[in-house]
Amino acid sequence: MDIRKFSLPEIIFGHGSIRYAGSYALQLGGKRVFLVSDQGLERSGWVDRLLAVLEAAGLETIYFDQVYSNPRDIHIEAGAELYRESQADVILALGGGSPMDTAKGIAALAGCGGRIHDYEGANRISRPLPPLILLPSTAGSGSDVSQFAIITDTARRVKMSIISRSLTPNVSIIDPDLLDTVDDHLLITSAVDALAHAVESYLSPLAHALTETQALTAIRLITRHLPRALRSRDPDDMEQLSLASTAAGISFSNASLGACHAIAHSLGGFFDTPHGEVHPVVLPHVMRFNLPACTARMADIGEVILGGRLATDAATATAGIAWLEEFFANLGAASRLSHIIPHTDDFAQICHMAAQDACLLTNPRPATAADLLAICTEAW
Amino acid sequence: MTPSLMDIVGPEYTKLGFFRDVQDKMAQLHAYTEELERKKQEIQSILDGIVDVLAVITPDLCIQYVNPVFFRYFDDPNPGGKRCHEVFRGSAEPCAGCPVQTTLATGRPDRLTYLDRRGERTIHFELVSAPIRDEHGNTRAVLLTKRDITLEKEYQAKYYQAEKMATIGLLAAGVAHEINNPLASISGFAEALRRRLPQLRQRLGETDPLVQDFNEYIGIISEECARCRDIVLGLLSFSRQRAYAGQRLDLVQLVRDTLKILAHKIKEAPGVQLIQDLSPTAVPVCGDPSELKQVLVNLVLNAMDAVLPQGTITVRAHAHGKDAFLIVEDTGHGIAPEHMDKLFLPFFSTKTQGHSIGIGLSICYGIIQQHGGEITVCSEPGQGATFRVRLPLEHPTSGENL
Repeated sequence: MDIRKFSLPEIIFGHGSIRYAGSYALQLGGKRVFLVSDQGLERSGWVDRLLAVLEAAGLETIYFDQVYSNPRDIHIEAGAELYRESQADVILALGGGSPMDTAKGIAALAGCGGRIHDYEGANRISRPLPPLILLPSTAGSGSDVSQFAIITDTARRVKMSIISRSLTPNVSIIDPDLLDTVDDHLLITSAVDALAHAVESYLSPLAHALTETQALTAIRLITRHLPRALRSRDPDDMEQLSLASTAAGISFSNASLGACHAIAHSLGGFFDTPHGEVHPVVLPHVMRFNLPACTARMADIGEVILGGRLATDAATATAGIAWLEEFFANLGAASRLSHIIPHTDDFAQICHMAAQDACLLTNPRPATAADLLAICTEAW
Repeated sequence: MTPSLMDIVGPEYTKLGFFRDVQDKMAQLHAYTEELERKKQEIQSILDGIVDVLAVITPDLCIQYVNPVFFRYFDDPNPGGKRCHEVFRGSAEPCAGCPVQTTLATGRPDRLTYLDRRGERTIHFELVSAPIRDEHGNTRAVLLTKRDITLEKEYQAKYYQAEKMATIGLLAAGVAHEINNPLASISGFAEALRRRLPQLRQRLGETDPLVQDFNEYIGIISEECARCRDIVLGLLSFSRQRAYAGQRLDLVQLVRDTLKILAHKIKEAPGVQLIQDLSPTAVPVCGDPSELKQVLVNLVLNAMDAVLPQGTITVRAHAHGKDAFLIVEDTGHGIAPEHMDKLFLPFFSTKTQGHSIGIGLSICYGIIQQHGGEITVCSEPGQGATFRVRLPLEHPTSGENL
């Protein structure tokens, strides 16, 4: 077996764990906290709750809320500027993937200077970053445990993958209570994103025993608990979804992803399509494309979903994909690309971009831009 | 540009920490601290090596810093934060002509000398104020240096006095020589007239008033000539600049002999008490006994004049280090400060006219000078006076008895 890695932040998990945010910031040497969040979380009251925690710990807080879905380089640069001016010393992010990736981008610029484009790709961050504490409010993007930050390059209209061990936060505080204020749409898109993380990272050639268990656990938990969570918002279901998102994050952070994420990044960069809306549409198509290259492993996923195996691996795998399609349909998620993007004029360019994406490296079946175009056209 | 699978695994990378940076910074700080400490020590040694009083004064005239020398001159154990005029001069108001204020106003150094009479000894200070500037070149404080120039001033005064004396000596010698010739003529012709007197008597008769007058007038001319000759001799002795080869003598014995001579004079004044404080052992000096006696007589008679009708005169003679000292103290009316520097000048006298011609102390001065010594006086009005004669001590060769 080749060299593999398994890197994680410190993870604090549990109801009410948000109250430790202050003491962690202090222990990381913080006096002035740079807090990144967004208006949705302000409305839900969680920002005020966190500010109270930080104040009780005797910390000053500088609040930055220029966070948008698919975070952009310009916002990152504005944040880094404010970080430098305010002489903060710890970065906290509260929210979904967008605030967390914004915080990571700000940390990269605060630690290394330059522009965010300088760090596109893998292992290009060569200096220590300010301490990072992430509090995910969705289940979820997995950004709170991953070494990835996905930032949109406004000039090129592409999503840049920035991959570096130093982007792994110091601490991830996962408090399932934060899911209480999440609406159905966000609950679904973030859970499906986590499911896509689990599926793609399980099929990655970089997967190994430590990541595989995380991935399969995440798949099992999401398929079992998401419908129940939507019906009753039972705290236990919410907690299982949080765990699933964290497990999926651990898996993809170490084994990386595949073509589905490459396409989602590309569409997000081009049309600003919400990341979570692309997966229910594209994931089954990508799985069918990959099936010949990894039938046995696809069958493992099918077995977890179906709760048992069929006669052959191929049958089990195919049944699993079909089950997922039905699962997405039952959730009321979009099932065709035409539901979420305006036209197909730019598919060629979008797929050309997707073929450059770092996630495509770990797709189990090598895919060209033409292959991706075929998938997108099929999903239209 | 596009990363490979191995790039994503990145086995050679880890989350970077600041440990190395922090260590380097700590080492740097440590080195800086040591360097600073060394510099501080160096500056402190420089400051400690300065023998003048140093003080840093803020624009509101408060003392910010003083060096250790400060405590040698001033009693205040905690001058920091107090107003400089209170600490240095004991006055509630800023001093007139204060160089610190001039420096604050102009940004240029300034100086001033003043006498500090607050302690038991009067100290002559020279102040120099220099600006301490901030990074913009504005005066943010003043560095005040106070030098004790008491000794310097004393030496300077002595030097001027010596110069003056030497000049006056030359003048006196010149005048004495110039007067000597006409005086000799007057005296000679007066003698010639005296020798003509018998002829005058023959021609006019013994009882003629004219003969009487001539006789009397010639006598007066001769006497006055003799008085002039004495004055001229005195002047010459004051200004005599030749090296003096005297004989070895015991100062204590000389004092005893002289005081015997003066005993009857002192007895005449019952209110005057004479105390002798003489070294039990011989104090050998080299000199002319009669001249030294003349000095002592002069000093004792002056003291008598000062203490009358009653008081005490103390005469001391003793050896100290390489010098012999002859000291005459009195409890008399003392000497006015404005007379102090004129005391040893010829013809200077505080006594009522006719009582003295003021040649005494100037002759004493001349004699002691020729003996390689010095004569000094200290006195406060109403507190008596002390005349101190210092002479070089002769070291007796072994086995020689004086």
